[in-house]
Amino acid sequence: MLKIENLSATVGEGEAAKTIINGLSLKVPAGEVHAIMGPNGAGKSTLSYVLTGREGYEVTGGGATLDGADILAMDPEERAAAGLFLSFQYPVEIPGVPVMTFVRTAMNAQRKKRGEPEISAPDYLKKSRDVAKMLNLDADMLKRPVNVGFSGGEKKRLEIYQMMMLEPRFMVLDETDSGLDIDALRTVADGVNALRAPERGMLVITHYQRLLDHIKPDKVHVLAKGRIIKTGGPELAHRLEKEGYDGVLAEAV
Amino acid sequence: MMDCCGGIEEHDDDCADVKVKEGIDAKTVEAAKRLESENYSAGFITDIEMDMAPIGLSEDTVRFISAKKNEPEWLLEWRLEAYRRWLTMEEPSWARVHYPKIDFQAYYYYAAPKAGAKYKSIDDVPREILEAYEKLGIPLREAEVLLGVEGAADTAAAAREKPRVAVDAVFDSVSVATTFREELKKAGVIFMSISEAVHEHPELVKKYLGSVVPTSDNFYATLNSAVFSDGSFVYIPKGVRCPMELSTYFRMNAENTGQFERTLIIADEAAYVSYLEGCTAPMRDENQLHAAVVELVALDDAEIKYSTVQNWWPGDEEGKGGIFNFVTKRGDCRGARSKISWTQVETGSAVTWKYPSCILRGDDSVGEFYSIAVTNGRQQADTGTKMIHLGKRTRSRIISKGISAGKSDNTYRGLVSIHKKAEGARNFTQCDSLLIGDRCGAHTVPYIENRRADAQLEHEATTTKLSEDQLFYVRQRGIAEEQAVALLVNGFVREVLQELPMEFAVEAQKLLEVSLEGSVG
Amino acid sequence: MSIALKDLIRNPSVAELELVARYAALKADPRRERLFEAFALTGLPHRRNEEWRWSDFKAAVGALEASATPPAQDPLASDGVATLKLTPQGYVAPVSLPPGLRLLPKDDVQAMSGAEDAPLGALAAALSGAKNAPATLMAEVTGETPVRLHMVFSGPGAINAARIVFLVRPGAELQVSESHLGGAAFSTALIEYTLQPGARLDRVVYQRGGKGEAQAITALIHQEADAETKQTVLAFGARVSRIETRLVHHETGSRATLNAAYLAGDGYHVDFTSHVRHGARACVTRQVTKGAVVDGGRGVFQGKFHVPRNTGQQTDASMQHNALLLEDGAEVFAKPELEILADDVQCAHGNTSGQLDAAQLFYLRQRGIPLVQARALLTEAFIAQALEEAGVHDEALRAQAQAWLSEV
Ligand SMILES: Nc1ncnc2c1ncn2[C@@H]1O[C@H](COP(=O)(O)OP(=O)(O)O)[C@@H](O)[C@H]1O
Ligand SMILES: [Mg+2]
Repeated sequence: MLKIENLSATVGEGEAAKTIINGLSLKVPAGEVHAIMGPNGAGKSTLSYVLTGREGYEVTGGGATLDGADILAMDPEERAAAGLFLSFQYPVEIPGVPVMTFVRTAMNAQRKKRGEPEISAPDYLKKSRDVAKMLNLDADMLKRPVNVGFSGGEKKRLEIYQMMMLEPRFMVLDETDSGLDIDALRTVADGVNALRAPERGMLVITHYQRLLDHIKPDKVHVLAKGRIIKTGGPELAHRLEKEGYDGVLAEAV
Repeated sequence: MMDCCGGIEEHDDDCADVKVKEGIDAKTVEAAKRLESENYSAGFITDIEMDMAPIGLSEDTVRFISAKKNEPEWLLEWRLEAYRRWLTMEEPSWARVHYPKIDFQAYYYYAAPKAGAKYKSIDDVPREILEAYEKLGIPLREAEVLLGVEGAADTAAAAREKPRVAVDAVFDSVSVATTFREELKKAGVIFMSISEAVHEHPELVKKYLGSVVPTSDNFYATLNSAVFSDGSFVYIPKGVRCPMELSTYFRMNAENTGQFERTLIIADEAAYVSYLEGCTAPMRDENQLHAAVVELVALDDAEIKYSTVQNWWPGDEEGKGGIFNFVTKRGDCRGARSKISWTQVETGSAVTWKYPSCILRGDDSVGEFYSIAVTNGRQQADTGTKMIHLGKRTRSRIISKGISAGKSDNTYRGLVSIHKKAEGARNFTQCDSLLIGDRCGAHTVPYIENRRADAQLEHEATTTKLSEDQLFYVRQRGIAEEQAVALLVNGFVREVLQELPMEFAVEAQKLLEVSLEGSVG
Repeated sequence: MSIALKDLIRNPSVAELELVARYAALKADPRRERLFEAFALTGLPHRRNEEWRWSDFKAAVGALEASATPPAQDPLASDGVATLKLTPQGYVAPVSLPPGLRLLPKDDVQAMSGAEDAPLGALAAALSGAKNAPATLMAEVTGETPVRLHMVFSGPGAINAARIVFLVRPGAELQVSESHLGGAAFSTALIEYTLQPGARLDRVVYQRGGKGEAQAITALIHQEADAETKQTVLAFGARVSRIETRLVHHETGSRATLNAAYLAGDGYHVDFTSHVRHGARACVTRQVTKGAVVDGGRGVFQGKFHVPRNTGQQTDASMQHNALLLEDGAEVFAKPELEILADDVQCAHGNTSGQLDAAQLFYLRQRGIPLVQARALLTEAFIAQALEEAGVHDEALRAQAQAWLSEV
């Protein structure tokens, strides 16, 4: 499903450009959930931005495809319409744009691009209500501008709300667990698990085992110095939780 | 002063490196040696005989100054043209400063120390000043420099072997010594007084003098052009990183003198220089006038870092005396990828009128302005910067921290102007003001002009008083109120202090404490 | 007398001479004379006057002839609401006034505070009283129920100089909307509001002038204890236009929200100027101004908070101005100013100008919204933030903004 091959990318412009992703390869087959763990500054968020096409991140080598389509050649919105969704580590505040307006606009734009009909207002509302209920989101929150004045945990839940509304095919979750208390973590995990399906794939970026207790990964990768230095099963996450990254990093050298 | 590591033991024979001016050399060196061996309590202050121009300003004064310096004809003409223009100009009134009308005929426009200095007792030094410098922990010889003790600059400079700072000391109107000349010469760096440069490097002076601040620029700059007495000249050749920090002292000693230095710094392609300017003046009842011009030119890939710590006599608590400081400082980022960075700590002067600016002409050039301005007593400061974006992708950054105490007024006035061709220009400005006490004022007057859709300009300003909560927290931990204030103020200005060369930063920090003394309670 | 006044204006322009002539034709009145003198100190303000450096009326106002463009449509008009019309010919009062509102046409000119600081306001006051108009139109608002009033300032004609003075009695509430629609070569309106203790003012202003016209709207707002103003302005500018609000918090507990949005098209100039004086303890000001400008347009924002010594303690004031330059060739000039002479204050201002925020744009696109649509959505939301407090007029103003944005 998602195939990243020997990917290299820089951050920053001109002379200030730094190589952050350095020959990274990774495959996530349909139906699987892979976790990416790694020390701070390893390049995890950078990878998520390179995949989704943020400005200022330049691909200098290698490639990435989603179901065979070269996503790196697409605009950010085309990648989204192709089914790629990023739950941001730091969701942006958008004053003046209510959540409802925003998500509906996004949903219809994606549908349009895929040649599907727009969602009707009642259908949208019903779906929104269901999702919000499942995520314990206050209906009032959905009337407020996107992320404005939301707490850290609320922002993360709103990311998952959007994900469940848009039903993407491939999801990248960048530290969605940070800032969540235990109950909220479970709620979010339930939402994510509800989307698990044979035709969907997922990359879960996290520091902590506790999220992986709820979202069971098929594989765990360790990202350091811009590439995957180790891959293993769920037990790898347990080991990292206990030992920290030092041991794994040392083995890799 | 502000640039020394603080120790006196490193002193060695750098006196040999000190080139002293004719006429004062013998006494200077002698004084320097004597000061060396005596301890502080038996120190001296110098009362030097001065060679002065007749009081007042006329074409004759201009001719007198030019003749004293044996200047070439072109420079005399340049001065006269400025003088004639100055006669047609009006003193600006837009700044938020109030001072009695300046009688430009009541000043001496030229004052130079004569040979044969004689000494008087330390008892003549006002107690407050001595105490102030003691508190600053400024080393003996440095303090003497600050106090205007003749010769101190030279020895102090000599003691600077460790931090490696070359000093050009300006004593009232003339540059008395330039240290480390030989070593700089090896690197190809020219560092001398501007009056020497006129003779030794006329082609450079002619090419660059007035090219950043034209003689017609503004009232004070035009006056300076007519009567400038001395100042520093720096030229860093292509590709040279100046091997040490360069530094100037400005001391105002004589009564009723106007000081009109002119500094010109040129960094040729890919050159780098860091320049430190320190200013002090003894306490006098009358107001002294200071109208300097500083011109910086950075060619392709060059970088100039200009740091100032200004603690001129601010006048007493009632507002009597103190320096009128009307300064034009401007840097021209003439070359692509050039960078000019101004850092200033302003704690002195009765009236300050000063806007160190950058003309960002070269593509991808960068201008920076970091400022701390402290006013106390009855001081008035109107200071800020101008960032003129002409070239593509030019960037500027302004961080200004104003602290007002006593009955003072502190104004930030700044201009950010993005011109039509400045594609992708960027500016970030942060202006914070802190008020200590309810008799002072803090004012923010930014002008922000944007003519480019792809430019990104951000400006933020806040005005607050020292937080009671923070103050309480610190005092609860056992720190006395004054010290607590100093601590919090230091936190407030931290971002700017970080931009100062290290030794300068330490001194600046102490200076802040002294300047704010008596502001609480 | 008129000769002396003529001499007061340095190098008078054709328009200034005409203004002097119009003044001279009016009934003599010492107060009127003082007001005209206040105007004549600057004359039509020009770029050498510090407060007008980016808005040069002297250069923009040509010979005072009838405007070539008809007045703009009025989006705030509403059938159920009493409407007062102010035109070059005088004023037309509503057929029936709402309870709590009294109109008092005065034959003599009323004094104006701070006339020297608002030369075009002083001019409006000095010239009102021609034809069937009273020298000063006064209005009193009383009662428990909010009073709604709509005012239209429009041509056709050469000069529309209008003045109206409101007195809102203790605890009363005025909900006023003003449409300044142009149609005269030069319009200048002076609207004064005095809010007595506990009074409320909801003021919504819509301004749209012709490309050849000059428009000045000056509002003086005086607030006593616990009075509150909420103001929302949407402006499209004119050849040169200035919307100026001078507000004084005279007594403790007074609050003001001053919001504004401007949209400047090719050939249009919009100037927002405000001056807020915190002349009493514990008063609050919140100010948000948003603008969008295209090639050939110019937006000007000048905001000032003045906190005097002693009286201004515990001031809480913040000012935001954010502008989008939608195309190259657009110009935005800003001067957000703080003049603070009391220490126990919280004052802040922020100013940005440039493009839409890149992080926001990316966030929208990551969710699948195409670039063009994402831009439109963000720009609209950006402007709308300044219109949120417009109450019943929120929708109408938003629709105007939307229509303008969809055309650029
Ligand atoms: N815009 C940027 N400009 C320069 N460096 C950046 C930028 N964004 C990220 N970096 C650097 O890239 C490295 C990787 O960052 P990131 O991908 O956020 O790490 P992680 O998410 O793994 O903690 C860090 O060293 C970070 O400082
Ligand atoms: Mg990260």
